[in-house]
Amino acid sequence: MSDPADSFGRVSDRWGREQVLGLAPDAASAKAAAGVAEPAKWRGAGADGESLWGECKGSGKSAYRTCVDLTEPAFRCTCPSRKFPCKHALGLLLLWSDGAVGGGDRPAWAAEWVDQRRARAAKARDRTSAASRTRDPKTAERRRQRVDDGLAELDQWLRDQVAQGLAQAEHAPYRLWDDVARRLVDAQAGTLAGQVKGLAAIPRRPGWPDRLLEEYALLRLLVRAYQRGEELPEALRETVRARVGFTLSQDEVAERGERVRDRWCVTGLHDSEQERLITRRVWLRGRRTRRPALVLSFAAPGRPLDASLMVGTEIDAELLFYPGAQPLRALVGERHGPAVPAVPDGTSIRGFLDEHAAALARDPWVDRWPVTLAAVRLARSGDGVLHVMDEAGDALPLRPTDPWRLLAVSGGHPFTFAGEWTPRGLRPLAAWHEDEGMVIL
Amino acid sequence: MSTAPDASGSRTPERGWNEHVTAALLGTRRRPAPSLPEAPAEVDDPAARLLDQAAVLTVRRRAGRRPLRSLEPIAPAPVEDLPVVPPAAARRLAQILGGTQIRVLPEWLEAAAAAGRRVPARLLPDLLERGRSDRMLRPAIARAAGRRGVWLALRNTEWAYLVGSGDDPGGGPEVWQTGTRNQRVAYLTALRGSDPAAAREALRETWGREPAPDRAAFLATFEHGLSPDDEEFLESALEDRGKDVRQIAADLLARLPGSAYGERMAARARACVRPLERTVRGRRRLWAAVEPPRTHDEDLARDGVPFHPSGSFAPGGRSGGPVGTRAAWLREILARTPLATWTELFGLPPMEIVCLPVTEAAGHGDREDGDARRGGDARAARDVHIGWARAALRQRDVAWARALLKGGVLADEPEALAELLQVLPADERDQAAADLIRWVEGGPDLLRVLERIPGPWTGQLADAVVVALAGAAERRARPYEHTLTQLCRLADQRLTPDAAPRLEALAARPGAAPAGAAGHALAELTETLRFRHEMLKELTS
Repeated sequence: MSDPADSFGRVSDRWGREQVLGLAPDAASAKAAAGVAEPAKWRGAGADGESLWGECKGSGKSAYRTCVDLTEPAFRCTCPSRKFPCKHALGLLLLWSDGAVGGGDRPAWAAEWVDQRRARAAKARDRTSAASRTRDPKTAERRRQRVDDGLAELDQWLRDQVAQGLAQAEHAPYRLWDDVARRLVDAQAGTLAGQVKGLAAIPRRPGWPDRLLEEYALLRLLVRAYQRGEELPEALRETVRARVGFTLSQDEVAERGERVRDRWCVTGLHDSEQERLITRRVWLRGRRTRRPALVLSFAAPGRPLDASLMVGTEIDAELLFYPGAQPLRALVGERHGPAVPAVPDGTSIRGFLDEHAAALARDPWVDRWPVTLAAVRLARSGDGVLHVMDEAGDALPLRPTDPWRLLAVSGGHPFTFAGEWTPRGLRPLAAWHEDEGMVIL
Repeated sequence: MSTAPDASGSRTPERGWNEHVTAALLGTRRRPAPSLPEAPAEVDDPAARLLDQAAVLTVRRRAGRRPLRSLEPIAPAPVEDLPVVPPAAARRLAQILGGTQIRVLPEWLEAAAAAGRRVPARLLPDLLERGRSDRMLRPAIARAAGRRGVWLALRNTEWAYLVGSGDDPGGGPEVWQTGTRNQRVAYLTALRGSDPAAAREALRETWGREPAPDRAAFLATFEHGLSPDDEEFLESALEDRGKDVRQIAADLLARLPGSAYGERMAARARACVRPLERTVRGRRRLWAAVEPPRTHDEDLARDGVPFHPSGSFAPGGRSGGPVGTRAAWLREILARTPLATWTELFGLPPMEIVCLPVTEAAGHGDREDGDARRGGDARAARDVHIGWARAALRQRDVAWARALLKGGVLADEPEALAELLQVLPADERDQAAADLIRWVEGGPDLLRVLERIPGPWTGQLADAVVVALAGAAERRARPYEHTLTQLCRLADQRLTPDAAPRLEALAARPGAAPAGAAGHALAELTETLRFRHEMLKELTS
């Protein structure tokens, strides 16, 4: 494992433009940032490996002071923009990415902010370790009772569906699932509610009867597992509770979760919207441990999402895994240096399927799993579905998405592929190609 | 775990699963759940049992997923023979495709192609998508997309325009038999370039069967590789039933030196314009005496001069009123007359002929009414000069174009002169255009002239445009503000980016920077030029 000093030594590893633009909260910001990224607009711009600063001439009289803490990354700008990061921070990063920002000493205003931020972070960590939240046992009991009732009701509903026949689902209104989901929300089984709500989309796709039966079966499995929680091993009980909707606070994760330090490669990012909430999934893979990790963040539409993890970079950091039979979701703990560009190690398709099977053996409800494949090519099956195929000739289907970027970049040649595996196939997230470099898909 | 044992005996795992799906679809009230011995059997409810069994099978199916075998990989794209553009240029293209300064896209593509570079593969889908909605972009895309572009286009029918675009119309001679009209025009155009006679024969074979609009489109391709060999075909097309076909044939014949058509026109023209020796204040001088045709006949119509030539009712330049049919016939006849007719007739080089004084033949000897005579002479001169200018443009006659531009004639028809610029050799154009711009001295004529001068504006022309911009910026009156705004709009894609520093200096001059819309336009122009400057620098570095 690398020493922190090593990471700081690699200051010449600047981020690529794609990575910088990946931080933009929306397309308009990315466009505006490109306009700001002109050396003539900046005064006193500099970088010291950990941070980046400069003063940008705005439309008004005074210049905006912009500073980026590269270790996080975190942004600060004196401009009134409500976008985060603002176009100035992005523009400064773009300039730096192009090599147009020199070295220099951190000016006082930038140093002050970076130090303040670090102090706050340290304080937050202290608070975390000192945390010992007391819970009202009565509240906990009340909730347990509600969840028990809610799950019993869900079980009855699932059995009714199968007893009446799933065929009716094909033309059922969304209400069929929405009502169940709402009752689960009332029962304080939030995670489960979201999952049930999502089921409404299944009967609108080809091959739906198989998928719907799978989901109903796994839901009943979850209900049964919860009801027999006492008999389950501790870790599996954690998994079941998390999937029902017993969330852990970050403090609790910090307290109970496993801590793993590694060089974590950010292999992919996917945003999805449900219930006016955007969920960002960031997939990581440990260089040394080869462990996968999933960092989730949430934001209302139009609000900034967590931009601290950039696809195509690697961070030396400690991850705090949520407890469970198959730990996957994690929080980023202490970082030991700035993010640097990196190409992830890939496996073969067999290697991935074995890992996935092992994960399912520990947690049968695993429905998304990160895939990084080395030296794959694109192939088409007889029915025209695009596949990735490895050197051994094994192939997996891609989910039907816009394939053109991937086709253009690979040109039929081998590349490193990163995506997420779902029951519907592989969702491409990023590709690394010899000539083209990293491409976010 | 990846090879789960099949505990259900004779049934395959897939069949076992399908039985469960069928039962679930119909409902356990109608169809009993299939048995699955390894599933927990502690419950009596058939629906619950079906779900429990399905859960076992689901996890087994997911964990036991096997990769597909023996798929055919997609054939690799051919190796590129051109290098990709430098990274900075690639970033800028991404920015342009994202909507920044989208109007410079054609210039980016042309500059990349000229530098022998190609578009990076990752940007091809966005670029090809642009070409789908914008036909004008397609040739430039074809030149810069590299082999990967064609490879990609072969896989998407919506981008098929790229396949076989550019120099190769796609497909062999069968295109001529089976293609769409546009494909057949492309085929014929290409063939006219390499073997005009073969193209003519191909067209002759199907001529009688083609509908009139197709005949017109095909005949228009004769402008490529036009030669006296085409004369007979074109002459016969003058009798065509299609009006457009007849007009195209006549226009093409008018460009053929030494044709019978040219002779016929020259005979008409000589009847209208003749040399005249006159003594004015004791000096004998050669004049051009002009008398427009008095009548219009079938033969004239057959040769492509209609009774109402286009523009004959349009306001005629500064003089205001319509040109009138007689003057319009005269202009058309002169425009279609070989210019050699005049050098022979007057025995003078073009420059001197252009400078000859012109008089209205009817007004000759009518000395009482001096003003009316001078007005008539001026009108006659304009008609003759416009006729010659059109002829010089059509026949691409450098000596005549040069003479008309330098001769100081057609002062009130600067657009006609601007069009002549394209006839000049490339190294003369900037200078001549600059002269023309200085001559018109701002105002609405300036815009009309500049509109007709394609980019890039470099050298002396660029200098003249900057001076014109400065002139318009200095004057605060409304009309100049409008001129400046329009000028900026014309200049942003045509003016050489080298002019950016001078424009910046202009905007930075204390007190001189125009405010409001004009100032905004000037700032925008400067920014566009800067952008183009950076862009071209990146592409050639």
